Amino acid sequence: MARASSSTSHGGSAILGKGAHIRGRIAGEGDLRVEGGISGDVALKGDLFVSDGGEVTADIEAKSVVVEGTIEGDIAATDTVSIRASARVSGAIKGSSVSIEEGAAVQGSIDADFELPPELTGKAGR
Amino acid sequence: MANTVIAQGITIEGELTSEEDVVIQGTLRGKLVSKDTVNVESGAIVEADIAASSLSVGGHITGNVTASDRVDLMPGGRLIGDVKASRLTIADGASFKGNVDMDV
Repeated sequence: MARASSSTSHGGSAILGKGAHIRGRIAGEGDLRVEGGISGDVALKGDLFVSDGGEVTADIEAKSVVVEGTIEGDIAATDTVSIRASARVSGAIKGSSVSIEEGAAVQGSIDADFELPPELTGKAGR
Repeated sequence: MANTVIAQGITIEGELTSEEDVVIQGTLRGKLVSKDTVNVESGAIVEADIAASSLSVGGHITGNVTASDRVDLMPGGRLIGDVKASRLTIADGASFKGNVDMDV
């Protein structure tokens, strides 16, 4: 079975397997890999990985988010958001950087915090 | 490797249902239903009613427990609540408060 190799030092790596479903709130320090379903709220200090076939209907806060499955809800990541080709995402996406692979279905807004290059800010050379 | 692992540092408030086995190392409040084995490991805190085919308790559980097969209280495990199971073992060093219904 493929496993997320990284794990934060504060908590372990949690897995919600195929055929498992959580209705409610999930919070914590560690990483979470979702192969099953979640409806509710997710607030992690670690990384969230939604694998192909995983379905999350929840507002998400996490360090980084990688989506191969389905997310319905707002995503707020302090680090990166990666939306892979097999993913379907609807909701507002916020992260330090957001990447979307060709083939992914995304509906909603994207808010990536990055510094505009000086030639676009209107301040350069004036 | 277990199908579903709620690792240390993770807290779930709500209902967890699973077709397959579940390992709890973190905290769960609410309800837990599994068609397979549930393993509440040492350090885990569960405040929930649990239904499973079999249950192994090394952590702390507050709630009523129903197992279609068996319940095993391991050394250091603590269960406060009623047990309904056809087989129950309580190891030396486990603590238990509640009623037992072995369906005889």
